[in-house]
Amino acid sequence: MAAPARDLPAVTTTRESGPRRRGPRDIPRFLLLCLLAVIFLAPMYWMVATSLKAETDVIATPTQWVPARPTLDNYREVFTSPDGNILRWMWNSFFVATVFTVLHVALCALTAYPLARMRFKGRDTIFWIILGSMMIPWVVSMIPTYLMMLRFNWINSFHSLIWPGLAGAFGVFLLRQFFMALPKELEEAARLDGANSLQVLWNVILPLSIPALVTLAVFSFMGSWNNFIWPTFVVTDIDKLTLPVGVNTFSQRYVTEYGKLMASTAIASVPVLIAYLLAQRYLIAGLSTTGMKE
Amino acid sequence: MSLSLPRENVPPRRRRSFENSGLTPYLYLLPFALLFLVFVVYPVGYGFYVSLHRWDLLAETRPFVGLEYYRNLFDFSTPQAQFFWNSMKNTALFTVISVPLLIAVSLGLALLLYRPIFGRAFFRAVFFLPGVLTVSVMGILWRWMFDNQIGLVNAIRTDIFGMQPLPFLSTQGLAWIPIIVGTLWWTIGFNMTLYLAALGNISQSLYEAAEIDGATAWPKFRFITWPLLGPVTLFVFVTTVLASFQLFGQTLVITAGGPNRTTQSAIQYITEEAFSNNQFSSASAMAFMFGLVMLIFTILQFRIMARDAREGS
Repeated sequence: MAAPARDLPAVTTTRESGPRRRGPRDIPRFLLLCLLAVIFLAPMYWMVATSLKAETDVIATPTQWVPARPTLDNYREVFTSPDGNILRWMWNSFFVATVFTVLHVALCALTAYPLARMRFKGRDTIFWIILGSMMIPWVVSMIPTYLMMLRFNWINSFHSLIWPGLAGAFGVFLLRQFFMALPKELEEAARLDGANSLQVLWNVILPLSIPALVTLAVFSFMGSWNNFIWPTFVVTDIDKLTLPVGVNTFSQRYVTEYGKLMASTAIASVPVLIAYLLAQRYLIAGLSTTGMKE
Repeated sequence: MSLSLPRENVPPRRRRSFENSGLTPYLYLLPFALLFLVFVVYPVGYGFYVSLHRWDLLAETRPFVGLEYYRNLFDFSTPQAQFFWNSMKNTALFTVISVPLLIAVSLGLALLLYRPIFGRAFFRAVFFLPGVLTVSVMGILWRWMFDNQIGLVNAIRTDIFGMQPLPFLSTQGLAWIPIIVGTLWWTIGFNMTLYLAALGNISQSLYEAAEIDGATAWPKFRFITWPLLGPVTLFVFVTTVLASFQLFGQTLVITAGGPNRTTQSAIQYITEEAFSNNQFSSASAMAFMFGLVMLIFTILQFRIMARDAREGS
């Protein structure tokens, strides 16, 4: 095909351009999307349907596509299970993720600020060392960090879930890029009014950077909330488990009791689904703009 | 600064003088530097140190053994070498199968969705939705979907198509299907969103010009969309390979690495060696070996991000 001709667009403005057009041509596409949506939602439906069945109905043949005798017994049993308190795990996850997010965003902002807006010796070297740390695969530091947690006596403590991940390069990188793009004039005006650098950061830079701070906060919170590998090994005390690990202990205990398992996964899904539905627009917008610059 | 007032008469304030001492930026960097040294720099050196010694939590002495644990990884008479390379092979197999699927399906969904259509926001939400679930929930869900007798997949096979149920979870080879399908379902929305953003940035005039040249859908995709998506595809490829190599939760929850270790991932085996067998030195050597492989892709991603950083500055 020839290179797109650049000197012809005048013609195209007169007709209805492709992407705006809706019509019969879209029907197959719409039906395909509906089919895919059904496939994507099927596991969720099956989770809820199973959770509402009595254990005998779960394994009944022929398969009950819709629970014949819906019951909340599974939910009741999960909430009162002696094998672990799912609400407690949810709270643990929430607590750890919140503390981590606040500390992480604050730390990244403090670090990104001089890297973006001050001149000093070694600035670029420091930035490249931080960025370069992203090249170290996480798995390399997993075992030594575990041994450190043993020595600090931080096993079964939330400290081990919060501190080791704080010095993340990605957050510094994200905020530095954002801070650098802010106009100099406001900062200079504040300086002339006698503001020190901390006041500039607090009153000028941070208020202007709320989109970047929120994006980083969402990523940090989700990362901490969903973390699975590390908490599996540093937290074993049943009351200290985070939600992903706790739910997995249920799955090891109730290998065949799918009614209870599905009730527990449904309960575990509710907070993230609500958060997602509330934040959906921002989340997708943030994703679209932070990862890629093209 | 033309606006500045005459400042000679103003007594210098203490904080100004400190600000001018040149220490300020370093003070801002101090908290990060401390955490960075303790939790990023030190563990790497410490991990290497551990891998060179015989580390036993209960023993008094931790004798230096040099590269013995690394050598063991190439001595296939040891179970460590067999299990480690088996888990590496499994991880590589998962990556080779899942990455092209993850790219192709997410691009396909994005292409279906980027032009306006009734219910577009709903479809986007539906495809993104599974990604917010935590890995253990996703794993339990797909273990149930593919349960040997009564999972949804086998229920559909027997009740609707009259086929025999397949024991997916306990059959070598077949056990990968729930893992890969579950991973697709779980992560596709993320890549799709990146693709949607990139598609939105392609100038419509290119397509209009191509239409005037008589181009149909395939040439438009082949010569406009695909090349212009190149940078995103590279980004998606590198991040997806990195994520696939971190395979852990899906196999742990869905198959527990079975049957017969055929779906055990590298990280799963390394953690088993460390935390179940208490072989921290051996596991550290494996972690370095594994890290070396991942480093190649990490450097690639690093270069992509470095390019972005330069463009931003």
